[in-house]
Parts: sequence; C-alpha cells; structure tokens
Amino acid sequence: MAFLKQLRVGKFVKVNIISLTCCAGCVSSFLNAGEALLEVLSGDFEIVYSPTFVDLKEIPKVDLAIVEGGVRTEDDEKFVREVRAKSRTLVALGICATHGGITSLGNILSVKKLLEKEYGLLDLSKLPELKDLMYPIGNFVDVDYYVPGCPPMPFLIVHTLKSIVGGRTPVRHQSVVCTECNRKIIPAKLKRLYGVYGKEADPETCLVSQGFVCLGSLTRDGCGAPCPRSGFTCFGCRGPADALMYRSRDMYAFFVKVISKRTSIPAEKVKEELYRNPFIFHTFIFSKLERFKARERVI
Amino acid sequence: MSDKRVITISPTTRIEGHGKVTILLDEFGNVTDAHFYATEIRGFEYFLRGMDAERLPFIVSRICGVCSTAHVIASVKAIENTYKTEITETARKLRELLLMGQIISNHSIIFFFLTLPDFWFTPEEDPSKRNIFQIMQEKPDIGKKAIALRSFGAHILRILGKREVHIVSTIPGGLISPLKEREREGLLKEAESACAITKEAVALGKELFDRNWEDFRKAGDYKTYYMALTKGDALEFHNGKIRVINPEGENFSELAAQDYMKYLEEKTYEWTYAKFAYLKALGWPKGIVQVGPTARMNVNRQITTEVADQELKEFKRKFGSPAHATLLFDYARLIDLMYSCERAKELLQDGSMTRRDTRVEVKPRGGRGIGVVEAPRGTLAHEYVLTRNGQLKSMKLIIPTQVNNAAINLNVKDAAMEFIHHGEIKPGLLNRIEMVIRAYDPCIKCATRQTNERLRVEIRNSKGKLLKIL
Repeated sequence: MAFLKQLRVGKFVKVNIISLTCCAGCVSSFLNAGEALLEVLSGDFEIVYSPTFVDLKEIPKVDLAIVEGGVRTEDDEKFVREVRAKSRTLVALGICATHGGITSLGNILSVKKLLEKEYGLLDLSKLPELKDLMYPIGNFVDVDYYVPGCPPMPFLIVHTLKSIVGGRTPVRHQSVVCTECNRKIIPAKLKRLYGVYGKEADPETCLVSQGFVCLGSLTRDGCGAPCPRSGFTCFGCRGPADALMYRSRDMYAFFVKVISKRTSIPAEKVKEELYRNPFIFHTFIFSKLERFKARERVI
Repeated sequence: MSDKRVITISPTTRIEGHGKVTILLDEFGNVTDAHFYATEIRGFEYFLRGMDAERLPFIVSRICGVCSTAHVIASVKAIENTYKTEITETARKLRELLLMGQIISNHSIIFFFLTLPDFWFTPEEDPSKRNIFQIMQEKPDIGKKAIALRSFGAHILRILGKREVHIVSTIPGGLISPLKEREREGLLKEAESACAITKEAVALGKELFDRNWEDFRKAGDYKTYYMALTKGDALEFHNGKIRVINPEGENFSELAAQDYMKYLEEKTYEWTYAKFAYLKALGWPKGIVQVGPTARMNVNRQITTEVADQELKEFKRKFGSPAHATLLFDYARLIDLMYSCERAKELLQDGSMTRRDTRVEVKPRGGRGIGVVEAPRGTLAHEYVLTRNGQLKSMKLIIPTQVNNAAINLNVKDAAMEFIHHGEIKPGLLNRIEMVIRAYDPCIKCATRQTNERLRVEIRNSKGKLLKIL
C-alpha cells in the first residue's frame, strides 16, 4: 500500500476520531493504552477533530481518520462519507465499524416493525431518518484498515496506528484465537455441552474439550486470548478468521466437527444443543456485509 | 418562526455520545425554551428478548463502553436476584473493587480530558485550543498524571475483570477466578500513587473552582429531589439501600433495591419521544429527581475513608446540604474519585481478598429480578423477567442519564436564559451551556439503547400551532 508512505505532511499527523452508532468502548480502549498512549499523543499525533475531546464543530481535512461505530442513521452515512472524502487514510476501529457489532442484532426486524412494536401510533414521516438496518461502514466508504474487536485491545490499536503513521503495514492476524490460548487440547468423553456458568472450568484444559461452547477456533487472533485464558469462553468479538471469511466455508459445520471431535458427543446431538442458543455465531457479525472484500486489510 | 430564532449546537463536544442542543428564542431574542437531545439510537431492550440469561451480562455490557463494568455488575446482580443466589463475601469485595476501578477510570478521564479545559481556559479562548492536548503541551505533567490515574483503574479492570473494557470475569454466582497475591501486591503499590495523584487533582480542581465560582454559580441551579445508594449514612456504590432526599435535605424515603422500579415512573413529554424518569409518589413535575456525584454527596452524611470524608465536610460547609448548583457535579466527582482510590487501597490491604471462594453454584429459575448499583453517573438499575428455561422475556433498564434528563433540560434552559439576552450570542456563552450539560456528563450511549430514545423537537408559537420540527 504505497499511499501510506506519504501520510505525514507536516510535523504531526493530523487525526480525526469519529464515533458513529456504538458504545464508545473502542475509544475507551485506546485511552487505556497508558504510557503508549502518551507516546502516541505527544510524539506523532495531533488530534484535530473529535467530539469527545476537542471543541471544533466542522470536520477538517486530515491525514488519518479513525472511525468507531457502525451506520444506523442517515446522519451516520452522511457523516462517514464526508469524513472519507476529507481524509487520506481511514481506519475502521472495532467490530461495529468493521462488521456491524452487537447493535446489528437489531436487524432481526425491520425498523418499521421495531418502532411499531414500541409505539403503535407512530408517524414515521416525522421521525429522524433511520436506516433500515445497522451496517458496517465498509458498505458505504472505502476502508483502508479494518481493526475488528469489541473492543480491540489497547496494544493492538497502538500497534496499528503507529505502523500506519510510520508508513508500514501493520502486522496482520490471520489465524484463530486458539493460537494465543495456553490451554491444552485433550479429547474427552462427555455426555452434553455446558453453558458459560454451567460448571467450574479446569484451568489448563481447552474449554471446548470441557464441553463449553468456546468460539476460539473460529475467531481471528490478535487479542491475546484474554477470555479463554481466564476461563470465560471466547464469543467471537474479533470476527471470523481469514480462512472462514470465504462464503464457501461453512463455519457452522466446521464448528460442530470441532466440538464433536474434542468431546466425543455425536455431531447430531451437538447440532441440537447449539440450536437452542440463539445468535451464538453471530453475536457481533449479524450485519450484512456488501463490500467486505479486502481481506488483506483486516488487522 | 424564522430560522434565526433557533440556535442549534451540534455536535455537543466533550461528552460521551452524540448530542445536540436547540434553543428557542422569541421575537425579542430572548430564550423561551431549550432542549438537549440525543442524535443516535440502537434498541437493546427489544432485540435481546429470547436471549439466554447467561449471555446477557456480556451483551448488555455493550450498551456503554464507558461504564460497561457498572452495567455488567447490575446485570449479574439482577440475574442473581432472580435465581435467589447469595454470593460469598470475597466475591462481594472483589466486585466492589471492580466498581472502584470503573469509577477511577471513568472519573479520571472526565475530570482531566472533558471538564478540565473549561476551568483552565477562559470562555473567550479559541475553541480549537480548548482541550486537554493543549493543556498537555503547556504542562506535560498533567497529561502524565491523568494517564497514570486512568491506568490504575484500567489495571484493576484488566487483572480482576480480565479485560479493560467489557469485563468477562463477573458471572452470576460470583467471579470466575480469584485474585492472586502477586496481583494484589502490584495493585496496592499503584493504589498509593493513585491516592497521591488524586489528592493533587482535588487541590487543582478546588483552586480552579474557587477562582471561577462566582461565574459558575450562575450557570444553573435547580432545586430537585436527590437519590443515591447509602449504607448507614455513608457513601456506597455496590450494596446498600436507595435513599431519596427532598430539596431541603430531609430524608424523603428509603427503599430496598427490589422496589426501585415500582418507585419510579417514566414520562413522555409532548415534544419528545424520550422518556423521563421521576418519582411516582410525587408525580410530574414535582417528582423530578437527580442522581450522580452531587446527589451522592447530598444524600450521604459521611464517607468511610479519611481524606474523602474531610472533602465531603468541606463541600457541605461551602455549598450547603443539599447543594444545588449544577456545576458542582464536577466538584463532587472529585470527591467520588478520592473515595474510590482510598477505598480501592483499603480493599487491597485486606488479606482476605485473595481467598479462593469467589464462586457459588447457581440454580437457574424463572421470575423477576432487579440489580442496582451506583454507576459513575448515578443509580443504575436493571430489571429482567426470565422464563423457566432461562431466557429473557423482557427487560427494563433505568439509566442515570434518563433520570437526569429532566434536570439537564431544565438546567440548559436556565443557563441559556442567564447568558442570552436580546439575541446577543457569543461562542463563549454557548460553551457555557455545553458546560452545564458536560457537568452531568450525560452518557448518551446509555440513554440511546432504546428504540424510543430519539428526541423530536417541535417549535410551536404562542397559540400552540406547530411551526417546525427539528
């Protein structure tokens, strides 16, 4: 990506931090970077526009725009298009921006039905315009880097930003969370699957071989596996790993096979138990991806 | 009505979330009304119906990335309340420590990054300069301290919660893993320097506050009821009773967390789809109540830790009890911060924190349950109805910003009337209005979890004819 080498124009790299529809957790995560944050802020960055920190109300032209959150309203779309037009490089930060995030679970019903359910007598023509669904920003604008995660870990954000500012391509994480997890895969003989709180987890064995539904084997690495290491199942907040981003790969069939192999529960029974758990694979990626073709841009 | 008579500030800056203010003027250019409203929506209550209870805490955490820990703890408490589970003393203390971590990381950012620029610069200052980055260039030390304090909060959350934002360790029945001795010692060391930094921050805050007080006191003061958790008259965040005091400072009522939802009612205003929570017993608008830092100071008579208690006494001596001025939220937030650091230190000194009995088994059952905690912005309540199979039937959340919504709007109007006369508007004055909003630190991310939180502003003339919808 040759365009990166020209990113720095003056002494500082001018940066925008933009929030669309989201929980603000990604910027919070960035603020948790501690010393590294101080280094970034005092060394390379000049944050020129960010409703959270700076009083400026007009969007200026910048070198780097960091966008958290997805597109839920017409305003969001207008905003993200304007930001794209005014920035040289754009980073989608967090799973809402890259894949739609938790809010896209609301896509199970149309907006009209959603509002009708809450208000019987709503005059929709008078409401601020909502999009029909929650979309990731990649559906509307060209994104240079996708950094999925809910939220991405502070070190991952800092690494990505530093690399971009330094004119390098950030290290890509293409594998699965299991590669960063220290648990040992020991095939077991179990009768059924367990919920997260179903029983106490053994600290050393793989959570799947203990009968927990841990999505580590499907999910992109780069987080350091904090959840499965501590005994809480991975729930897929980094989105699917590279190999699973192809539509031809059946995530579900693959996962059933993994569980069945590690627990000796017949595949049919695994399917039956998984069926009872709504949204298990799509907690964070329920949204419709239209232009998410650039696999090599996912960090 | 022409467009000239409507002033819009959008986006409101240095708050969490997307907000907007509209001020309506009459033909003489004087303020007739002012509204503060959110410009985004999501819809959690609706799409979570049918979700497995065990997956709820980590999903509702995503309502707000800024106060996610408070949401997780309230959610887990609500589920435990339904399951009739009693957690161990160790788990209770660890959760309190987590909550302290939440308050520290949240309040440190709000004080240093969001409100300090208001105290530091004059209102006439160039808006592009009025931010923490400018202060950091002038005094790099302040930036370092802000980050160190934030990091202490983040470390508590990472070590005990396993992640800094959206913690995973807290589950119905307790905590997934105990605190290690090595971790306790490391955190204790950090706690001592955090206490020292906070003392400096309190001194700095007080100095800047005293300097500007004559100005600040005009920015709005609305006498309302106040509500907060309390434990034997002392400040409390995790467990305790809910106490409400009247505008004169007398106890109005005290209730158990389980009765919270019955005690509050929500109202829809004619110009908005947003709901306003108020005290049911008093009706609207008499029952407008405020939560948050000032409310915590007004409701409680003492604080169990030493320095924070002195600060509370000084606060009460200076501003009376209850204190009403809106901008005192910023002052009170510093006392919160002092308490959290001291309390975290106190908890970490306790050797029994590293006991291994952090978890009890839960027996899932259907029914209704409520969980209440003091979140950074005030009393936060989650209520769930679960089916026998452990799936969510319905949920109701009352979020601090929703309770404060009425007071925020009234205060914005007061401030606007104070600062705008005969159509004369200066940018510095508008920033002052934003300061009032910022004092409440309204978390729009929280308030907009509902499908119905989007506000609509209508402009009507004196005969009630609809002229324009914003």
